[in-house]
Amino acid sequence: MAEYTLLIILFAPFLGALGLIFVSNRQVSLVRGIAAGSAFVSLAASVYLFYAYDSVKGGYQFIQRIEWSRQLGISLHLGVDGIGTPLVLASGILLFAGIFVSWHIKDRMKEFYIWILILAAATIGVFMSLDLFFLYFFYEMSVIPMYLLLGMWGSHTKKYLEMTDPEGLKQRDSVGFIFNFGANSKEYAAMKLVLFLSAFAVAALMGILLIYKFSGLNTFDILILREKAHFSGPLATLIWLLIFFGFASIAPIWPLHSWSPVGHAAAPAATSMLHAGVLMKLGHFSIIRVAFEILPETTRELMPIAAVLCIFSIIYGGLVAYYAKDTKYVIGYSSSSHMGYVFLGMAALDYISLSGAVIYMFAHAMATGMLFAMAGWVYDQTHTRDIPSLGGLSNRMPFISAAFVIGCMASIGMPGTVNFIAEVMIIVGSWNKYPFQVVVAVLGIVLTMAYLFKMMRGLFYGSMAEKYSHSHDAVAVVDRMPLLIMITVSISFGIFPGHLYSVVRSGVDPLIARITKVVPVAELPMNIPQASSHTMPVPAPGEAIAKVTSR
Amino acid sequence: MTFSLTLSASDLLLLLPELFLTLWLCVVLAVDFSFKRIVQEQLAYLTILGVIITLACLAWFDMTGITGTLFGKMFVVDRMAIFFKVMILLATILVILLSIDYVHRFSLFRGEYYFLVAMSALGMMFMASANDLLSLFVTLEFATFGFYVLVSYLRDDMASNEAGLKFFILGVFAAGLLAYGISLVYGETGKLVFSDMSGATPTTGLVIGFLLIFAALGFKIGAVPFHSWIPDTYHGAPTPVTAFLSIAPKVAAFAILLRLFLVALATFKPAWALLIVAASILSMTYGNIVAIAQRNIKRLLAYSGIAQVGNVLIGLAAGTKMGTDSILFYLLTYLFANLGAFAVIMAISNSVGSDEIDDYRGLNRRSPFLAFAMLIFLLSLAGVPPLAGFIGKLYIFVAAIKEGLYILITVGLVNIVVSMYYYLIVVKKMYINEPLDSSPIKTTGPLRAVIYVGLAGTLVIGIYPQPFLDWAVAATLMFSNLIGPAASLTPPVTPFGS
Repeated sequence: MAEYTLLIILFAPFLGALGLIFVSNRQVSLVRGIAAGSAFVSLAASVYLFYAYDSVKGGYQFIQRIEWSRQLGISLHLGVDGIGTPLVLASGILLFAGIFVSWHIKDRMKEFYIWILILAAATIGVFMSLDLFFLYFFYEMSVIPMYLLLGMWGSHTKKYLEMTDPEGLKQRDSVGFIFNFGANSKEYAAMKLVLFLSAFAVAALMGILLIYKFSGLNTFDILILREKAHFSGPLATLIWLLIFFGFASIAPIWPLHSWSPVGHAAAPAATSMLHAGVLMKLGHFSIIRVAFEILPETTRELMPIAAVLCIFSIIYGGLVAYYAKDTKYVIGYSSSSHMGYVFLGMAALDYISLSGAVIYMFAHAMATGMLFAMAGWVYDQTHTRDIPSLGGLSNRMPFISAAFVIGCMASIGMPGTVNFIAEVMIIVGSWNKYPFQVVVAVLGIVLTMAYLFKMMRGLFYGSMAEKYSHSHDAVAVVDRMPLLIMITVSISFGIFPGHLYSVVRSGVDPLIARITKVVPVAELPMNIPQASSHTMPVPAPGEAIAKVTSR
Repeated sequence: MTFSLTLSASDLLLLLPELFLTLWLCVVLAVDFSFKRIVQEQLAYLTILGVIITLACLAWFDMTGITGTLFGKMFVVDRMAIFFKVMILLATILVILLSIDYVHRFSLFRGEYYFLVAMSALGMMFMASANDLLSLFVTLEFATFGFYVLVSYLRDDMASNEAGLKFFILGVFAAGLLAYGISLVYGETGKLVFSDMSGATPTTGLVIGFLLIFAALGFKIGAVPFHSWIPDTYHGAPTPVTAFLSIAPKVAAFAILLRLFLVALATFKPAWALLIVAASILSMTYGNIVAIAQRNIKRLLAYSGIAQVGNVLIGLAAGTKMGTDSILFYLLTYLFANLGAFAVIMAISNSVGSDEIDDYRGLNRRSPFLAFAMLIFLLSLAGVPPLAGFIGKLYIFVAAIKEGLYILITVGLVNIVVSMYYYLIVVKKMYINEPLDSSPIKTTGPLRAVIYVGLAGTLVIGIYPQPFLDWAVAATLMFSNLIGPAASLTPPVTPFGS
């Protein structure tokens, strides 16, 4: 049973979605039951996975391998290491919480749950793929549900509503409309998100195809490629850049971020949670899984690019968040700013900083999940995301406002939350290599405080407009539970980070050892396979002989 | 060259599917004429029955490995021909199912509609087996003949007449080019059979001859710059005929293209690869960009079809065994997605009476099933996992990257994103926009059956493609002497076990 854990985590949401197809939209409780049940199975299995993962042994565990196509050298090869495990857990938690956050959706509830389950399952699939093909397969599969989730259940911005006729017939469909801030329809946001992510995904696919061709191994298997494929020179640089920018667009790194706040803002609460919480981490994760594993030397040479761009992410995202007047834009830009910290942790290529980056991904998933869930609650109650018109809501929603304070504290990185540990690790770990960036990052934390406190004050304190006096607090168990789950996880790992840390460390150690200690390409004697990391099993006899590409 | 026209029993066996279908067509006509009051549905099912028996016969050929050539190599039965014939017949069955409700729109309907559809299918089966220039010409014209009538079947509809006329004039022109090209090639080489030509020396006449033949075949598959008939013809023709036209002639023409380029012209690959690359880039880019501007779903699918052909041509440009595998596989995925999409179009057009994309508003509220099916088909055409179209596109790209066709692949990948835009616009109308008229849409049994077959094909191939890949690979074993992908050179990779 234990060896099928990954399959259970991955396929429970898919089966739930499949089951929902055959249920009528009128059977509300059955629809909710199937969605919550399948999400719970997935969550329970991922909790089991997290605690059953053997951090002493390290390496890839719970491996499943099902041959899928002989001709193309593809197999459904699943396995998690210390980096994938916490992210799978975060996806499980956010999916489960997201099901409850969207408990009161009235319009086409069944379809909503189908798409959100597919979205989460595809995301989970990326975190456990050990095959480049399936990594891309799940990656692209997670993009399409976003279109429908944003378009069908999303919301327009205030400016957009003010500028169109009530029937909403004047829609913004044009592709050229990329740099349009603050006045977009949900359709525009959805289309922009899908086109942007697909455009960069195909760049990553090109990189994957180049890896496939020039490794000469006729396989997409990451474990084989990392041992035997070897790239150097301009080719390696090209592949690395394709992979890095292809996946960094979803992360989102600074010049490629513009789809992200727009998309977050338009999305319904549960989708924003999953989107900001785990979908954005697909970018960092895929870079780690593909670029770090397969192209270690190139990563060492080119990762400073990320160190430069992350400054812009942190400062630009923070400043826009400070001046934004839309709750979801604030949280969206704060997310894209915070992802800069992850890039900083990755760029330093240090044991502590990369571990910090991975823990930060987990921590940010919880914090931003909470904030989006509560922004969604406020929107549902007041039907606006416009901060200046809101205020004083703490009278009406004491629970939500208290939870919001905790969410802001977590997002800032208050000691006691897991975000604090992650931020400290990133800052300490990158200090040697990138002191300037660290200073910027610390300023970024101050900026985070500024915009989050500003939003908190704007939403919950001050005087309340009369028309919001009928808004309700989250009282029912189903409404409070998702927030409580995320708060509990955030604080308990903040106080007892031991297991999380050792799991992450077991994944990071061999990776960094490989990147920092491998001999540069030029010094390698010809035809000798590259030094393998100590945690990997030695290839069995009879396997393909390493092929050093010289092209 | 001498023909021996004495047919032995084993020769007749090779012709069995075609002979059977010919006889069955006569039966269909005879039944139609003899029983004046016969219900047209029964005639449709009678035709389908014949096609299914033919399919069974082909399946028997495929399993027992019956292959051979006839009439001095003019007619060849190999596994590739069988693969193509199965696709053509599958498309024929689905198209006849699509037609059952539509034929009520024809004034003066007689059973010859089904006869013409099946006769075109018969012609295309011969195309899949054509192995020399003469049979190429004869079968191509045989197959197109039925379509000339079918396209203009809506006698009182101006658009249909225009479509028919346009198709006819350009078709005849293409036939002229083909005949001229064949005469040049024969004059230069003195050979007609594809496999005898491989040693020919390239002269000016030969090059021009082959260019003319390619132009005629390019017309059939609708590749840029021979595509001009496609949008108007697709738009004006009766929708089931459009559906048939969008897949079956392309499939059959690709059978000929494969034999022509990879058997007859295998030695000149560097020269014609450039030609194919150019046609492919033009088709993909032109088709996808113009599709963005379309307001009519049939025209949208016409332009998207041009782009899809561009994608298939990537596999031909690769010119390897793997390239041919990928072409066969891609056409199979295209068949299901495309015919499924046309079934949805017909279901909507039957109750809304329009093919405008604006009338798809709020389809999700009017008929969740149709909207979902259309979503799946369009996303498969766009190439989104986990649907069949994605595997098809990826297979083609993998085959092409092994041959180093980087520019072509880059164009192909960019075009995926472009195509996603216009497919998603349709999705937007169906799912996001509110309906203007919220009455539910009813679908009839035959249309539902086609949609179910399309959905099953699209999803099953997308999720578990291995048997279909194996089938395609086995069908093109004849090409394994081509400079193959490196797969055969390196030892099999054993994975890290658990």
